[in-house]
Amino acid sequence: MQKITLDLQRDQLANGLKILTLEDPSHPIVTYQVHFATGSRNERPGITGISHLFEHMMFRGSKELGPEEFARVIQAHGGTLNAFTTIDNTSYFENLPSDKLELAVRLEAERLETLRLNQENLDTEREVVRSERKLRTVNSPFGLLIEQLFAIAFDQHPYQWPVVGWDSDLRALTLEDCLDYYRRGYAPNKAVVVIVGDFKRDKALSWVERYYGHLKPQPPLATSPAQERPQRGERRSIFKKVSQLEAFFAGFHCPAIGDPDVFPLLALDRILSGGKSSRFYLRFVKTGKAVEVQVEVDPPPFWPMDPGLLQVYAIAAPGVPIGDLENEIWAVVEQIQEGKFDDQELAKAKRGLITSFLRGLQSVFFKGLAGGLYEIKGGDCRMVNTMLDRCEEITTDDVQRVAQRYLSVDNRTVVTLQPITPEENERLEPME
Amino acid sequence: MFPLQAADIKTSQLSNGLTVMGMEYHKLPLVHITMMLKRGSERDPQGKEGLADFTAEMLTLGTEGRDSQHLALAMERLGARYSASSGWDASFLEVFGLSEDFPALMDLMGDMLLRPTFPQEELQQCRQRRISRLIQQRDQAEVIADEIICQRLLENTPYAHPAYGTIPSLGGVGADDPRAFYHRFYSPEEAVLLVIGDLTPEEIGQKAERLLERWKAPEKVDYQPPSPTRPTGRRVIAVNRPDLTQSQIRVGLLGVKRNDERYIPFKVMNYIFGGGGFSSRLMQRIRAERGYTYGIGSSFEAGRIPGPYVISTFTPTATTVPLIEETMKVMEEFITEGARARELEEARNFLRGSFPLKLETPGQMAGELLQLVLYDIPFDYLASYPAAVERVTLDEVNSLAAAYLLPTDLILVVVGRVEDFLESLRSWGEVELVEYSEVIKDCSPSSTSKHTSTT
Repeated sequence: MQKITLDLQRDQLANGLKILTLEDPSHPIVTYQVHFATGSRNERPGITGISHLFEHMMFRGSKELGPEEFARVIQAHGGTLNAFTTIDNTSYFENLPSDKLELAVRLEAERLETLRLNQENLDTEREVVRSERKLRTVNSPFGLLIEQLFAIAFDQHPYQWPVVGWDSDLRALTLEDCLDYYRRGYAPNKAVVVIVGDFKRDKALSWVERYYGHLKPQPPLATSPAQERPQRGERRSIFKKVSQLEAFFAGFHCPAIGDPDVFPLLALDRILSGGKSSRFYLRFVKTGKAVEVQVEVDPPPFWPMDPGLLQVYAIAAPGVPIGDLENEIWAVVEQIQEGKFDDQELAKAKRGLITSFLRGLQSVFFKGLAGGLYEIKGGDCRMVNTMLDRCEEITTDDVQRVAQRYLSVDNRTVVTLQPITPEENERLEPME
Repeated sequence: MFPLQAADIKTSQLSNGLTVMGMEYHKLPLVHITMMLKRGSERDPQGKEGLADFTAEMLTLGTEGRDSQHLALAMERLGARYSASSGWDASFLEVFGLSEDFPALMDLMGDMLLRPTFPQEELQQCRQRRISRLIQQRDQAEVIADEIICQRLLENTPYAHPAYGTIPSLGGVGADDPRAFYHRFYSPEEAVLLVIGDLTPEEIGQKAERLLERWKAPEKVDYQPPSPTRPTGRRVIAVNRPDLTQSQIRVGLLGVKRNDERYIPFKVMNYIFGGGGFSSRLMQRIRAERGYTYGIGSSFEAGRIPGPYVISTFTPTATTVPLIEETMKVMEEFITEGARARELEEARNFLRGSFPLKLETPGQMAGELLQLVLYDIPFDYLASYPAAVERVTLDEVNSLAAAYLLPTDLILVVVGRVEDFLESLRSWGEVELVEYSEVIKDCSPSSTSKHTSTT
């Protein structure tokens, strides 16, 4: 196959703002992205969820624009936009017709500089976020289980709390907390601007300089997040909720995005649960023992910046005891740890990883994310160009080794869903 | 590549009636293959709802030369993804992979399409998987709300059931049903093959011809799409789930057909009302001003028939009634005051300007092109779309709103801790109360094992 590289150009303003550009005139659109190196890993107990709440506040108006007007103006020029907060970063983006790039540069800089942070906006957005938390977590089939999994697996590192934050913290957050967070996290030297698509680099750089050049850098954050201690022994817990089916969610501590073991772990994921010829699918899903059995990892550039969790979860079919299903799942993992798989299975996994990656490269938006997130989390956007080679290099020994090292019993945390009736649910304390 | 012209798509027809379309895409070494059959779950027999979608999956579960595992391995060794499914108006077999593997991928796809064997063991497992998934979905309030609103809006039409069926109807799918559905409805005369990839039109055309020419058409089956009637008066369906802390809310109306000449004006009207994200009146009022919810929006499904036009949202239990009341106010205001010139201008700019964003990848292009083919809309639509959007007037938007956004004639579905607000709902319209036990009545092991043993 031909060599495919993203020729990302890196520039930096005097105030520290990094700019990544990649011209691609083949389709008349452009993506403009601003990635901030701040996510829930930069929070502390008491203000959990502030990164995500703050992402919402960025839409609540600035000197020039009223609440939610940012979105209205971008859309009125044919653009689409959104933002997302993760454990590691907060990112804003606009995908636009190519002649509208300057508008996005100007408005992103304007709200970064003159954001309207006031009590009224905070109070409205606090309730919106609490509604979002109810949607995605509290009232979703498994949201609270996953929350409990991370809370138990991590006792030092900030990955122990959810990106959306604990409800008690959301209720307690103050305007002062927001202002402090804004000062520390939203400075040009903490951000990476990415532009990919149909545009002229010189012109775009001049716009970034014009609209961001005068902003002042902030001193770097004093401390980095606490390091998680190695886990010594399995941790297990039960979560009761109204549910038709039994399920479990397991997590294994695994390495950070820059670690070479990331790629053999991706291959392991594919061998176990990638597609309809994978081991989990054939053994459990196809045969009707489970509704779903899946390894859950985010491939780079979405992989966590600090050591995170590789998850394995299963939803049992009706009448299948969850304990039996869990034991059978670990027996399949043991086969990999014992080297009972062949080159062909690995070759299939690698081929799957490569086409998935190429599939991403179809859109300028994904190309921008790949560059921007690698820059923020790995320190170098060009790591994206090593991904195909890293995939090709994976050996069966690598896969066996990472299966032994990371998917060990001692490194495992398991939360099991125990279904209860609505009446039993009424007797337990409500969850928020 | 943009603007996409009718001439960019090379269309030919095989002697058996199959339409073959090829489009070149040379940015990456990829190929996207779709076989669309213009028949979907609207053809499901009564009592066997979900059969079209079931049949589509069965194509991937065994052919004369390969069993299901062999097919999966052959596809995935090439790094390819494949899927087969049905929607209301059509069924799709899709394969995505590397363009260098095009001949092999086509062989596999042709095998599934022309030589499926419908093995009994696979059929039973497939049914069991589908029923288990449906049981799991009973826990998702948003799924329950969506199913009920569509079912009530399209009552007494073949569109009243989800394409994936129901727990009892899947139990009713017998051993020979998928095979019979296949032989009756899978016809080259009703099918379109679309290939978009790093290939030449000749490569695409030759391969398709060699492989699919032998596909024989069954006898034609007459079909008249139904005409659903729009709701009159207000009906409320309230599903009581006391364990929820937030209500799922749907307000249901009917929209327009896909090939209705008012389709584009309807899009503009909906953008202003509830389809335009933060630019829409619903989001502006309910989220940005009131903070009642994380999300509210309206969307319409335009198919062979006028499909559901639904407002979807959710809100904590305590704000359920205020949110519903405020939503009705937004509807009333739109009708009485009409859209503003600036709103129209912005809606048109968005729909026009964002068009290239929707046609960037082969998957996006395939989706758009096949929708046009399915509803008999010429490809000129792509080039004329911006001008058609530009022509939409304030009068058109306002008359559509006045005709379709009637707060007096609609169906309201609420899934939540109903006991906390039942009285308020009653003051608003006639309420049909559904207990949670009713929603899960088909989930118990005894009833599922009964269904699964029906072969």
